[in-house]
Order: sequence, then C-alpha cells, then structure tokens
Amino acid sequence: MRTATRVLALCALLLGACKQSSPEQKQPAQTASGGAAAPSGNEILIGATLPLTGGEARIGGFYKEGYELAFEEANQAGGISVGGKKMPVRLTLLDDTSAQATAASLADRLINSDKVSFLLGTYATNLVEAQSVVAEQNNIPYVNGGGAATAIYKRGYKWVFGLLAPVELLAESIMKWVDAEQQGGHLPKPATIALLWENTSHGKDFRKGVTEWADKTKTYKVLVDESFELGGKDFSALLGQVKAAKADLFLADAHLPDYITMQRQYVTAGLCNKVLSYGARGSEKQAAEALGKKNVEYVLSAVWWSPLLADKNPEAKKFVDLFKAKHQNRVPEWYQALGYETARALFRAIEQAGSLDRNAVKEKLAALKMTSILPGGELTFPAEFGQQSHAPFVVQQNMPDGSSPIVAPQDSATAKGIAPNPNCGK
Amino acid sequence: MERFAELVIASVLLAGLYATMAYGLGLIYGVLRIVNLNHGGMIMAGAYAAWWLHAALGLDPYLSLALVSVVAFFVGIFTYRLLVRRLPRGAAGGVQSLLLLFGVWLILRNAAYLIFTGNDHTLRTSYSTLAVGIGSALVSVNRIAVFGVAILILVFLHLLLTRTYMGKAIRAVAQNPDSCTLVGIPVERIYGLTFGLGTALASAAGLLGSTLFPFNPTFGGAELLKSFVVVVLGGLGSVAGTAIAALILAVVEVFAILVIPAYLTAAVGFVLLVVVLVVRPGGLFGQRVLG
Repeated sequence: MRTATRVLALCALLLGACKQSSPEQKQPAQTASGGAAAPSGNEILIGATLPLTGGEARIGGFYKEGYELAFEEANQAGGISVGGKKMPVRLTLLDDTSAQATAASLADRLINSDKVSFLLGTYATNLVEAQSVVAEQNNIPYVNGGGAATAIYKRGYKWVFGLLAPVELLAESIMKWVDAEQQGGHLPKPATIALLWENTSHGKDFRKGVTEWADKTKTYKVLVDESFELGGKDFSALLGQVKAAKADLFLADAHLPDYITMQRQYVTAGLCNKVLSYGARGSEKQAAEALGKKNVEYVLSAVWWSPLLADKNPEAKKFVDLFKAKHQNRVPEWYQALGYETARALFRAIEQAGSLDRNAVKEKLAALKMTSILPGGELTFPAEFGQQSHAPFVVQQNMPDGSSPIVAPQDSATAKGIAPNPNCGK
Repeated sequence: MERFAELVIASVLLAGLYATMAYGLGLIYGVLRIVNLNHGGMIMAGAYAAWWLHAALGLDPYLSLALVSVVAFFVGIFTYRLLVRRLPRGAAGGVQSLLLLFGVWLILRNAAYLIFTGNDHTLRTSYSTLAVGIGSALVSVNRIAVFGVAILILVFLHLLLTRTYMGKAIRAVAQNPDSCTLVGIPVERIYGLTFGLGTALASAAGLLGSTLFPFNPTFGGAELLKSFVVVVLGGLGSVAGTAIAALILAVVEVFAILVIPAYLTAAVGFVLLVVVLVVRPGGLFGQRVLG
C-alpha cells in the first residue's frame, strides 16, 4: 500500500509539471494570413505569435483581428512604401498556446526558420517577457502591444518596443480620478484601501502604482495588501479579509477569468465598497454576461484605449469605422485597437527607414513620433522609459444602462463618474 | 470570532468541492489500481455538458446532474471496454495506463478546443450570485448546493458499497480479484462498472465546478491535482477518508491565509502531502477497502 501511495504521489508531482507545460504539447496552429512560404523578395515578411488557444485565447483572437485589419489596410493601399517602392506586407502568425516557452521557441522559429524581417509581439506580460528575450538576442525589431509590465523595459533592451503604457500608470490614472472625487467631498479623507493584486509583474506594477500614490498624497491608508495566484478558484478567505477591513476602496488587479470569479464571490459575500476596480478589467461584455449587468455596475477600469475616443480623435474614428465595416458593425475593444496600432507603428517605421534593414528600422522606431489612435493622439517610445509608450489611460465606469463611458481624463471624458457606489447600503 | 466563523464556513464548503472532485479518482484507484488521468478530462467534459444543456435547452445544472452522470457512466464503461481492459493488471499496467489515459485526456481537451474554442465559458443561473446568511456570514447558495451534493454522494457511495451486492462485489474485487473469480464474481464486469462509476463522479464534479468558476478546455488539470492530494491524504481506497482528507486540506488552505501570503496558500496542500507521505506513507487513515 505504501508503494501504491508513492506511485500516486509521483503522479501528482508529474501532473504538477504537466499543468505548467501541457499547453506546449498542443500543435501550434498555423494561421498565417497568406501562408508561411519563404520570402519572395517582393514582399515584407513579418512574424508574430498570439495566444490563439489556452487561457488567453479569447484576447489573443482580438489581437489577431487588430493585426489582420492593419495588414489588410496596408495591402489595400498597395503595400508599404519602402524607398519609393510599394511592397505588400505578409503576416506569419503562429499560436503560442498561452505558454511562455512556446512563445519564445516560436519566435526563434519565425526568425531563424521562416526568416521573417520583423516581429510583432504576443499578448500578456508574461509571454512578452519571455519572447522579447529572443528578439533581443537575434537583433530583430520587436514591437508589441501586449506587454505592460515595466520589468520588460527595464532590461536595457534596444530592439524591444512596447505600446502598452505601464501598469503603474494605470493604477495612477485610477487614483487620480479617486483623488478628484475625494477633493470633491464624495469620498472620505483619508480613505482606506483594500488592495489585491495578481502575483505577476503586472500585479506588482499595479500595487506599486497604488501604494506609491498613497504614500505621496498621504490621504490614503492601505489596510489590506495581498497577492493571489493567477487563475485562482477560491477567493473567499481573501475576500473575508477585505470584508473585515471595511475599506472605502477595493482595488484589485486581475485578468478576465479571475475578475469574473472574484467579482462573483465578492457579490455573493455581500461586499460593497465605495469604489470598486479590477484594474484594466471591468467593462468587458463577457463579464457582464457572466455576472449579470447589475453585478458589474459602477466598476471602474482604466484601459489603454476606448472606442469612445473616436468622438474626439480622427485616427481612432477611422479605425473604428474600418473595424465595424469588416466585422458586421461590431465595436472593437482595446485589444483589437492595440493590435492594429502595433502593426501600424512598425509599418510607419519601415516607411521612414526606407529599407528593410533591421538596424535602420530599429532607429526609426526609437525616434518614432506618429499620430495615433491612442489617448493623447500621439505615439512615441521614450528612451528614458526603456522604449515603452507612456500614452495616457482612459478611465471608464460601468453604468446601470450597460454603457461604460470615459470618466477621466477630462479632455477625453464622455460622462461624469459616480462615487461613492450608489448600490452600497441598498 | 466572526472572522473565525467565516473561515470555518469557507473551509467546510471548499471541502465539499474537493471531496466531489476526488471520489471518482479514489474509487477507480482503489479497485482497478489504475491512476485515471482522464479524470481531469471528464471533469472538463462535465462542465461543458452542463453549460451546453443550460444554453441549448435551458436545463438547470442541478437538474441535469443525473442526466450528465448517467451518460458519463456509460462513457466510462465504454472507455473501459474499449481501452482500459486491454492493459495488464496491477503494477505491470501502471505506466501504460498513465500514458493511455493521459492520451484520452489530450484527445478530449483538443476536441473541446475544436468544438468550444479556447474561450472561457461561464454558466450563469438566476441564483449564481444568490447568498443566504449563516450567522454573520453571507454564503453562496451554489456553494451550499455543491456541499450538499458532496454529502449525498458520500452517503450514496457508502450505502452502495456496504448495502448492495454490487457494492460488496466491488469491495471484494478491490481486496482480491483472483479469489473473486473463484467464487463466481464477474470481475471484468465489476471493473467496468467501477470505471463507469468513477467517470460519472468526475463529470458530476465538473458540472458542479461549472456553476462556480469560468472554464475552458484546460479546466480539470488543477482539479485533478487537488484530487490526487486528497486521495493520497485520505488513504487509498477509503471513501470516508477521502471526505475527511478533503476537509483537512480545505481547512489548512483556508486558515493558512492568516499566517502566509495568500498566493502561497495553494502550495500548502502539497507541503501537507509531503509531510503525510513522510510521517504516514499509507495516508492519514491508512488502507481501507472502500467503506
């Protein structure tokens, strides 16, 4: 019986290893637009991987839509102008199955086997973190719209460029709105915070943003400061701490599945805080469908882009119109917008370089200053931030009618935010 | 005190979920001496079955529990007859059974990718966020229901194994299959029925899990891991031991938050597993023969 027990225990350990690596065992899906042949010399080959299966599959699919739209738009215009000659662009897109190791190994394959000239990045900080190492080692321009953690850009890399502004800035954007509400007398001063963050670079940056703001302003006190494992199932004990703390603000940083699980348990446990936020998550349609519209009311989120920017930004309007025309009037979310803009930034740098020389394109990316669909209307990759964009965030709040208007910054706002949460005490 | 009571309630309810996930794995190992790696696949299949029945036919997941379990029972018997019975018995079939059933799991998972894509699915009912007050704590109705089902399954298994001919035959086969053949017990048939029963329990666990969490084709992997821990802790082949081990694991995980960072609480179970294997290699409750 002891032997049997040991066999079963060994299985548990093996399965633990499989749990980490199983996505790698799936065949990467070849979803290249136009196939993956050797470069003909008349076209520009660009490689990318996205999580088209696995935990991030849904969002990976959104980024794919953004990439494809940008490539179609460029090719419909006859291609990219390189040294006065129009060259079509071709995307070789592989499925990294939401796994870090696969993302890195497929990037290597794209560079050394498929011989792509440039790389577009995958989605999610942990995957970009692993994949960007390969790009840097191979001296190939790597533009990504899926990695936000500052850790990616603090390594002194020269070939890596990021469109997602840092998560610290995201947290700061939320805190600025909260601050304005506090100044307006809608929230107590000092206000108390229950802070939960996923145990990833993303979560750590979020925590840093909130705690540094609290330290700087001295008008907040963090009562709960806890991290949780990505993909968690049971948050009841953690939410028990939040409940016991009776904090004014509940600020969490979570990916979409964790947001849905945690918010369901939050509502069930009868929690209600004056301000409720899950960082970048909150306004997703899937969450409203999974939880019910009522249960996501007044959730505050800060995102890198919103379709509402189309009202004030002509570039954003052009993108929204193109996307809607292609996708039966479906409104894009920030994921598609970032995918689209990532590809466009690379195209612009290639045009400005006037050649396919990697070094020349890298230099142009480093000096890039282009009119953008992003908030603020301009995209740059500042060297002082490790070539990570610092475009501002837009803060949104879910309203009872199901809309999520922009409530900050003031120049982009389409509605006034509401604090404290009117549902508390009902 | 209020916080303590809330943690106790959270532990008990979590234990219900863990026990439901582990019963099927423990039963199959206890009788067939096979580690059913496809347990995770059937947990995932149960979740999708509940979601599909709810989305397509509007069937409440708790009402579809019996239907899903019966279908999974026959799927289990079919899997046994088609694949598992061809394996050598005992230790000789150990590695082969692991590979075979892991392969079946991979097929199921990839079939789910093809049919349902990799997107997360959520099963939402009118009572998904409904809660009732127990003392000062508000407790999810779904969680209580899952706990209730876990108790019902425990009672059902106990009665089945101790009061019915089939159950007694299962226990006898678990003890000594060769002697059973001599006294006329249809061992192969009992193996098939046990595999079917274990598979049905796995799909029931998946169905219950789908009422609590979003899921995608990778669902079942982490649940299988927890099931292993529970089954080893409880002692192989012990149904009551499985239930108690589930409670111990849940209590340790939930109360660990008081002393260690929350993100480490999931690892506490594995530390417990190592400690038990060192101190009591036969599990906390030693060997039982299914009862």
